[in-house]
Amino acid sequence: MGDGGVQKNPGFAGITGDFNLTEAEVRGTDYVGQRPLDGGHPAVAGTMPYQVPPKAVDGPIFVGPFEERLEKVLTRYEDRRGALLPALGIAHEARGYLSPEAMEEVAERLQLAPAYVRGVATFYTMYNLRPVGRHLIQVCTNISCNLCGGEDVLQAFLQATGTGMGEVSADGQFTVIEVECLGACGFPTVVQINDRFFENVQPADAGRILEELR
Amino acid sequence: MAEEQGIETVHCTVNGMAVEVPKGTRMIDAAAHVGSDVPHYCYHPGLSAPAQCRLCLVEVEGSPKLLPACVTVVQEGNVIRTESEAALEARKAVLEFLLVNHPLDCPVCDQSGECKLQDYVSAEGPAMGRLADAKRIVGVDDFGGDVLFNGDRCVMCTRCVRFMREVAQDERLGVVQRGSRAVIDTFFDDGLDGNIWADNVVDICPVGALVSKDFLHRARAWDLDRTPSICPNCSQGCNITLQVRDNEVMRLKPRPNDAVNGHWMCDVGRLDYQWINRKGRIEAPLVREGDRFVPMSWSDTLPRLVDAVRALSSQRGGAVVSPFLSNEDLGAARRVMEAVGGGRSVYRVETGESVVLPGFPQLALREDRAANVRGSQLFGFERVGDGCATGGLEAVDNAEFLLVAGDDLEDAPADFGSGARLFIYIGQLLNPAARNAHFVLPATTFAEMEGTFTNVNDHVQRFWPALRPPGMARPVWQILGVLLSGLNGSPAPARPADAFALLGAARPEFGQLRFEDLGATGNPLSGAATAPAGS
Amino acid sequence: MAYPYQHPSEVRVLSEYFGDPEARTLKGWEARGGYKALRKALGMSPADIVNEVKTSGLRGRGGAGFPTGVKWSFMPKEPTRQHYLVCNADESEPGTFKDRELIRWTPHQLIEGCLIGAYAIRATHCYIYIRGEFFEPAQILAKAIEEAYAAGYAGKDVMGSGQELHVTLHLGAGAYICGEETAMMNSIEGRRGEPRVKPPFPAVAGVFGKPTTINNVETLCSVTHIVNNGGEWYRQWGTEKSTGTKLFCVSGHVRRPGNYEVPMGFNFREFIHDICGGPHEGREVRAVIPGGSSVPMMSADDLDVGMDYEAFVSVGTMLGAGSVIVMDDTADIVKQVRRMVEFYAHESCGQCSQCREGTAWATKILRRIERGGGTEADLTTLVDISNNMAGKTICVLSDAAAAPILSSIGKFRGDYQARFQLEEKLMPARRA
Repeated sequence: MGDGGVQKNPGFAGITGDFNLTEAEVRGTDYVGQRPLDGGHPAVAGTMPYQVPPKAVDGPIFVGPFEERLEKVLTRYEDRRGALLPALGIAHEARGYLSPEAMEEVAERLQLAPAYVRGVATFYTMYNLRPVGRHLIQVCTNISCNLCGGEDVLQAFLQATGTGMGEVSADGQFTVIEVECLGACGFPTVVQINDRFFENVQPADAGRILEELR
Repeated sequence: MAEEQGIETVHCTVNGMAVEVPKGTRMIDAAAHVGSDVPHYCYHPGLSAPAQCRLCLVEVEGSPKLLPACVTVVQEGNVIRTESEAALEARKAVLEFLLVNHPLDCPVCDQSGECKLQDYVSAEGPAMGRLADAKRIVGVDDFGGDVLFNGDRCVMCTRCVRFMREVAQDERLGVVQRGSRAVIDTFFDDGLDGNIWADNVVDICPVGALVSKDFLHRARAWDLDRTPSICPNCSQGCNITLQVRDNEVMRLKPRPNDAVNGHWMCDVGRLDYQWINRKGRIEAPLVREGDRFVPMSWSDTLPRLVDAVRALSSQRGGAVVSPFLSNEDLGAARRVMEAVGGGRSVYRVETGESVVLPGFPQLALREDRAANVRGSQLFGFERVGDGCATGGLEAVDNAEFLLVAGDDLEDAPADFGSGARLFIYIGQLLNPAARNAHFVLPATTFAEMEGTFTNVNDHVQRFWPALRPPGMARPVWQILGVLLSGLNGSPAPARPADAFALLGAARPEFGQLRFEDLGATGNPLSGAATAPAGS
Repeated sequence: MAYPYQHPSEVRVLSEYFGDPEARTLKGWEARGGYKALRKALGMSPADIVNEVKTSGLRGRGGAGFPTGVKWSFMPKEPTRQHYLVCNADESEPGTFKDRELIRWTPHQLIEGCLIGAYAIRATHCYIYIRGEFFEPAQILAKAIEEAYAAGYAGKDVMGSGQELHVTLHLGAGAYICGEETAMMNSIEGRRGEPRVKPPFPAVAGVFGKPTTINNVETLCSVTHIVNNGGEWYRQWGTEKSTGTKLFCVSGHVRRPGNYEVPMGFNFREFIHDICGGPHEGREVRAVIPGGSSVPMMSADDLDVGMDYEAFVSVGTMLGAGSVIVMDDTADIVKQVRRMVEFYAHESCGQCSQCREGTAWATKILRRIERGGGTEADLTTLVDISNNMAGKTICVLSDAAAAPILSSIGKFRGDYQARFQLEEKLMPARRA
């Protein structure tokens, strides 16, 4: 609510409070690092390692390690349809968003109808259906964050990037959107930027975070 | 009653009336048994039931919540109330919800008059809407083929999506987005083009969201006269209604018949109806006197016809019939040919590729693109010509007695039949070859008469007259019946049923069927099934 | 060191190693007694495990509170087909963030629970459905699953017992409704996350049409401890009907928001005012949502209640997932209700007419009221919309959307009416 008397929570918009843990320790980055492109073990190959910036790449998606990953994923489901969410995830990771062509390729790979794939892809909000900035800034404004100033944080990011909601900034770096609860309500306001959660973000932090990302 | 047939049954009461239904019956069907139509959108007997429109909620004693009648199976002793206060309240609420974003553009909507939203709201919906805010606007999208989508009118029952998925098995439609942003859509610019079953989604759409481009703004539903009939455009014999305004067929709609077409029909058959409305028809009997035709009344014409046939002593006969003729027409033509001593009797038919409906494989657009190819075969007519229903007429070149019935001779050489001693032409159009006839007699089309067709699987089905015949046109069986009566003294059939009753003489299988028993959905021709059926 | 706060009144069974980075690793987890429960479970019959869990009285921690052992006993005893266990890690109920902590601090605790649960219901395959936004916890869990496979805790022959147990991590992609169990099954099958009509129930036809049980992360984590220590041991905490300890996630207007593990039945007022540090300086607690945004709000007067399933029901609300959202006297109740209903409108799958249209319509009305354009008639309409949605749809999302509307109009009607007055002041002409 932005008044001075309120004690801030520990978290990782650069405020670690009185904790003797480093940010890396809390986030576990030292433990996992980035997942390999081929997905590692089949049990976890459906896990998107990271949301990567959009790439202007032509040609098929499911080649090389991406194809290997899809093959691994297919071993974990009873039918090809079961691999649809992971396959869309891989396509999304490879292209940064799901173009009609990407949906068609996924449909072909999984022997599904393109219209069906589109229906599924549009049901889930995390699949971008058009290109977004290199950094997709998703600000939670749901109740817990909202009570603690989420809407101000959203405005701060919109101002700092100079974009409207959902637009790509002129330099292609940023897209700011409002999202529903991100599941870290004890650390408001929560901002997800690509694969990373920024917690306890205050409106004043927006500029600094953007600098960090550039 | 059902118990006698060895089917397990359960008992329930619906709105106080006791009903006994086969085990596994859905409540919505049990209610229909006692004449209670439970309002519904997503449920369709030919599709899976997702129970998502939540309009068919009914009260069942002992259940704390209202239950969807479309998926809830009747259990022994269920007490079901479809008109209880709670059920009515729930339905009223759903209707109010569906009207929140509905544009209420009934005055310009093709569905108006046959719209389930209109019907249900006027029957039991709220008197006034309470929406004080802006409505959602989706707009109009051309889905390709014959289908136009008005998103604002959609109630999201997903019947269309399920039809394309389950029945057409060509999943070109999907629900895109979710929640109140959800709309029906195709895969971007890929429309429904090329799927010949797509127009069925227009039929099953309970509201005006999916409309036919062919029918768009052409007629109001309440101005249409609906006559049960049979699609004439292939040998499948889909049950249809001919929908007519001002003596003009406006559209064909499928009519359910589980034995033949389920609830469906193809776009090829459905959209090929303009020929039924053809103008420039022969309207009066024309009798040649010298070089010219003299129009005459039937009472003047028919005695002359009988005399002309009688005057022939020994003749080589020849007949060309059309596979669009009814069984009664074909049977009469067969008996005429027998009466004059036989001869080559042929028919010509257009053919095309067969397309099966995957989710209801007994239905297909058949190769033979005429309604009564099977009847033509059964009554002893021989197929000639090519796949465009042209050529092959040399088979009757040397006929001295030539009967042409139904075939319009469009491609025939100008001197066709000029060598015959007696050439009788019964048909609709006066093409050049027909002018060589001694008698040109106006015939009705199937849409202007009552009769039967035999479909590719030997299913004999009735159709009823939907249009007024032009001028003095008569069914072929009636004309030939009088001729036969003149030749052999037998009484001429007066009604279609009489003509049908005579069919047994030519094909005994028909003798086992009664015209009256055929009803609206027809009966199989027993025994004939073993005979080779044309595809 | 707990993360982010701890309190002496807590009983830390599940959360003992929160804030301990070493507990994430297989080695660290084994050193802390990990995978002992799995070994023990494999020496028991599935039926014995189910009985032990029944004895413990453990109830589903995802919100519904259905007894876990009973749920497991619905599964066919003699498997003729593949069975599935699905772990619900789709944590997306606003106010809930306990599973995220469980996963990122103690991934092996969850994997162990999944393996035991799968064995108990005679499944050989467990899908962990984790929400797509949890990239970071998913990476930690993925690494832990790889470790478990490498160490032989999962795979074709678990710990030499001959038992086959697989775990597959499945990421969601942004849909709250996939936390509903039948929607989750559809999502795993690669379909739109639309809830299915029940019956058939998951234990009969679940994932890929096979018998399936769906359990929450916290439930499965608790199973590990119950197998280790016995059902009776677990009953030492809580009430007769709500046993054991539970993680409560606190957010909103308190000094120390976070996850706290307390025995069921803990006094709610003490929890908020002592453990969570109470409201900020100079503020008063005004409204509390005790179980995530889907449950009715309580006013500050009702706080003297035990934190268990029955007690919350007795004051007209629900324990839900234990997600406590506190609003103090600065909170704008109308705005927050609008935001919650907006959320449900955004997350409605769109199948059922009532929910699809009702949530969107209620949002429009609430936005207008918030802007000052409301009237008393709008409140009547809102109440009607809520009553007409709740209990009539395939799943309970519409009930969840109705809860904040009905409870806030019931308890804080004045907040709405104050907005009408605002309009009267601004636009007197329009009302005349």
